[in-house]
Amino acid sequence: MNLSKDQINRYSRQIVLKEVGGIGQERLLNSRITIVGLGALGSPVAYYLAAAGIGNLRIVDFDIVELSNLHRQILHFSKDINKNKTESAYEKLQALNPDCNIEVINDRIIPTNVKDILKESDFVIEGSDNFPTKMLINDACVNLKIPFTIAGVLRFHGQLMTVVPEKKTACYRCVFRDIKDAPSGMSCSQAGVIGLVPGMLGCLEANEAIKSILDIGDLNVNKILYVDLLRNSFDFIDVYRSENCLACGDKAKDLVKIHDYGGNMVCQ
Amino acid sequence: MSINKLENQKSVIVRKLDIRGKVCPMTFVYTKLALEKMNEGEIIEVLLDFPPAVENIPDSCRRQGLAEVLEIKKIDRNKKVWQLNLRKV
Repeated sequence: MNLSKDQINRYSRQIVLKEVGGIGQERLLNSRITIVGLGALGSPVAYYLAAAGIGNLRIVDFDIVELSNLHRQILHFSKDINKNKTESAYEKLQALNPDCNIEVINDRIIPTNVKDILKESDFVIEGSDNFPTKMLINDACVNLKIPFTIAGVLRFHGQLMTVVPEKKTACYRCVFRDIKDAPSGMSCSQAGVIGLVPGMLGCLEANEAIKSILDIGDLNVNKILYVDLLRNSFDFIDVYRSENCLACGDKAKDLVKIHDYGGNMVCQ
Repeated sequence: MSINKLENQKSVIVRKLDIRGKVCPMTFVYTKLALEKMNEGEIIEVLLDFPPAVENIPDSCRRQGLAEVLEIKKIDRNKKVWQLNLRKV
């Protein structure tokens, strides 16, 4: 693969980096990343990954754009209200970087389709708004051995962890076990959120994806980053892989086939 | 701009890169892309006319461990054209 003159120009500030270069840029252009959720986390993820020249972006959502989304879901504009989020996202990302081949999946992720949706991804970004989906993505990625990052936000707080199944790092289920639903009152619609909090956590998720594709730096594995933007604190909490984990432990099963993910799979 | 492969008597492959008209950081970007396609020990001759790049390219090459600088010479006093000889490391 030879970078075109326009590509050399477009990505020049990345190519200049020791950690990227032309070789790294070609690797990004040849990669495929799946983004689950095109809301507040998925918005900056999608923008930055498209801009960075990820060659294949698979974007997944089933929802439509609502007025109350717009303070944080920066992929979507006022004119997009009532449009599918995937369609709204496709338009923005295509306009931002025509190099990026965007695969649209306008569907709800459930146990019966999750593996088809994630397959052949080099990295998965989890940006949904509910625990059942996060657990399902965790279990499917662990089973398919795809590295991924999960983030969650509420009010002024955010948390993020990355999992690399091949390296047997702690997975989301090692930490949160069998959580099916957030405690009552713990959703964006009820508790509220400042838009830039998921914005910032989404940026960190995109950074994890880029580092993973390029095999550079350190990933946020075996620890949870806990951010409190009201107090400006950034803490790392060590977490450990559980040998008894149902998803990644020594006697793990293919949970996607047998597990009841409970909840209603949607944050109301 | 063109990259040519030549072979000298010592059978060291020499590439030529003409980046006259380019300014920083594109001067380094094009040099780096050319170096990435070369093998260790091969030499590249870079022609340039953007004065800050005469220092910036060798600096960046050293810092990133891409190449060692063999020679820097001004080849056209009136037109401000320089030639950098770099060996890929």
